[in-house]
Amino acid sequence: MPTIPILMPQLGESIAEATMVRVLALPGTIVEANQDIFEVETNKATMGIIAPAAGVMGQVHAQVGSSYAVGANLATFEVSHEDYLVLGFGETKPETGPTQVAASNGGSKDGVHFAVNDADTIYQRQPTVEPVVGGLPVPAGAAGASYISPRMRARMAELGLNAADLAGVAGTGAGGRVTVEDFEQFLRSLEQHRMTPASPMRMAVADAMRRSCTRPLATVGASVVLDPMLAHRKRANPKPGPALYAIRALAIALSENTAMAGRLVGTRIVHPQAIDIGFAVEVDDGVLVPTLREVDKTPLATIVDRYNKLVDQARNRRLPKDSSRPGIATVTNFGTFGIVWATPIPLPEQNLVLGLGAGTKSPVWSDEVNQFIPVTMAELTLSFDHRILDGGGAGRLLARVGQLLQQPEKL
Amino acid sequence: MSLTYLEAIREAQYEALRSDPSVFIYGQDVGQFGGAFKATKNLSKEFPGRVFDSPISEDAMVGMAIGAAIEGSRPIIEMQFADFSTVGFNQIVNQAATMYWRTNTSCPITIRLPSGGTAGSGPFHSQSMEAIYAHYPGLVIVTPATVEDAYWMLLESIQLDDPVIFCEHKFLYYHLKAESLGDKELPIGKARIARPGRHATVVAYSAMVHEAIRAAEELQQDGYQIEVVDLRSVKPIDTDTILASVARTGRLLCVGEAFPWGGVTAEVIARVTAEGFHLLDAPPQRLNSKDTPIPYHVNLWKAHRPTVASIIDSLRSLLRY
Repeated sequence: MPTIPILMPQLGESIAEATMVRVLALPGTIVEANQDIFEVETNKATMGIIAPAAGVMGQVHAQVGSSYAVGANLATFEVSHEDYLVLGFGETKPETGPTQVAASNGGSKDGVHFAVNDADTIYQRQPTVEPVVGGLPVPAGAAGASYISPRMRARMAELGLNAADLAGVAGTGAGGRVTVEDFEQFLRSLEQHRMTPASPMRMAVADAMRRSCTRPLATVGASVVLDPMLAHRKRANPKPGPALYAIRALAIALSENTAMAGRLVGTRIVHPQAIDIGFAVEVDDGVLVPTLREVDKTPLATIVDRYNKLVDQARNRRLPKDSSRPGIATVTNFGTFGIVWATPIPLPEQNLVLGLGAGTKSPVWSDEVNQFIPVTMAELTLSFDHRILDGGGAGRLLARVGQLLQQPEKL
Repeated sequence: MSLTYLEAIREAQYEALRSDPSVFIYGQDVGQFGGAFKATKNLSKEFPGRVFDSPISEDAMVGMAIGAAIEGSRPIIEMQFADFSTVGFNQIVNQAATMYWRTNTSCPITIRLPSGGTAGSGPFHSQSMEAIYAHYPGLVIVTPATVEDAYWMLLESIQLDDPVIFCEHKFLYYHLKAESLGDKELPIGKARIARPGRHATVVAYSAMVHEAIRAAEELQQDGYQIEVVDLRSVKPIDTDTILASVARTGRLLCVGEAFPWGGVTAEVIARVTAEGFHLLDAPPQRLNSKDTPIPYHVNLWKAHRPTVASIIDSLRSLLRY
């Protein structure tokens, strides 16, 4: 009876390997189709591997307690001739070398004729990528390896979806992949759900965030004392918004080290030409980011009116074209929504986004008066592109911003 | 009144001789003998002087026909086996194919090639030459799979001003029957959906269309609906119909009886991959005869060519991808 290998299947989107926990069908056991034969554990769950057809368990190569990659050969399994063909093992394997045919007795001088070896019969050629999972050449070492065909890719692009969105779509293709038919069925099933149209703003933000997240992002946070800023703001006329203080502090800090807002191209860092900083304004169903130009050179008092006008224009969707040009960093004051802490995502063309959380009155120990004193504290969070900046540099930038915010009259 | 594929070919030649005085038939034993396969039986009696024998030289036959064609005739050449056409290869590809391009004079010859294998026919009586001739610009290659197409496409081939290679399948001669010839439905250059489906497309031509349909019927029992496209003419190929079919199914298997290297199957897959890459949910597959000369022995011959079983196997792996 022919034997087939039992290979470690693709158990989930990002699963690259699993540990053998229990052998449920010992060598020699007669097994029915779809019966559980092994129990394996991934970093997500314990699951069963089922027999692809009725048969007899042969030699089990896998050992309990050891981890095996997707596609690894776990055991040999005896199946009927019919199932052997149905499962796609029917093609003959190519021979390992050319077959030599001796000359006939026709007196030909050379004894070797070019003969076709089975490997040359091109339609029989097996793909050279190993291992093969159910006939699908899936590199076992690739985490999250789930084959997406050209048609799937095109269809997903039409709908703005990426590989992560396929998790949860049942796949009936080889290796558990999602075929176009599976996908279309999934889309049809969505029709039964309540649907509302997505605005162009929604689509634009979705696209920007998707593109932004294709790089390694990280976030650091630090507490900042808001009282000096709040006191300055009380006395000022016109009143600058809290975000404007953060914008000026960030601009000055960046002007002291422009590399942090630079772009890594090849082996060089491209520094920004001007310290233009944007700020997030919430609008219907999304966010707009107007930009203040060369704000490292413009003291706070001189830009209050311009800032207020831009906020107004953004809310009315009447931003002038040039102020929509992207800056080198963005400030977002989500504290106005009551949010104390967040990990904002930088715009795709920028490295940095500084978030200002809501201020809360907190007790802080004072060595001077030897007791707790009430201080208005807020969390500053800085999300950054980790290709250009590390935790230390980000931390120092945040510390500098916090420092500058303690002397608002100098901003 | 049912007629066979061969009788349809004879009827078409009869009609061509009757309606166009410039048509004549030339080949080995086509006259009194009526042709090796009886495709011209009684025609020399009906049309004296217009159906006559040639020497055993395909080179001379094609050369003579080209000369007659450029002087205003419409010759039909019957070769006894497609395999022998290589003796006249130079005349076909260098003279006939290029005549119009070089001289602005049309060369309206039709060369009928009995193609494909039967049990025991061996390496020189079984070949399918469509890919070889399709390679050359200037030729039209026609491969009818049905009795109706054999009739209507032969009539159209004779009336075309270009040299046409008409690949008629020997196995279909006596085995394929139809009740009537019907009306002309599709011109040369359009493919036909022989069987509609949704799970995979099989593109085939000539006798393989029937094998593909039988494979599809068997897979129907497993719930698969396989679409079969009959190319009808290998050159010009109807890429639009093929792409529309792959758009419906996402999977392609191309089947041909000829050798694999550079065959019609390779051409179809190259076009679909280049022009319809985003329609494919699985790599396109092809199935041909083996890359060896065609065997004599019946058992070897059966193992050499695509069969219903091997088409089903290929489809199953394609569907499981």
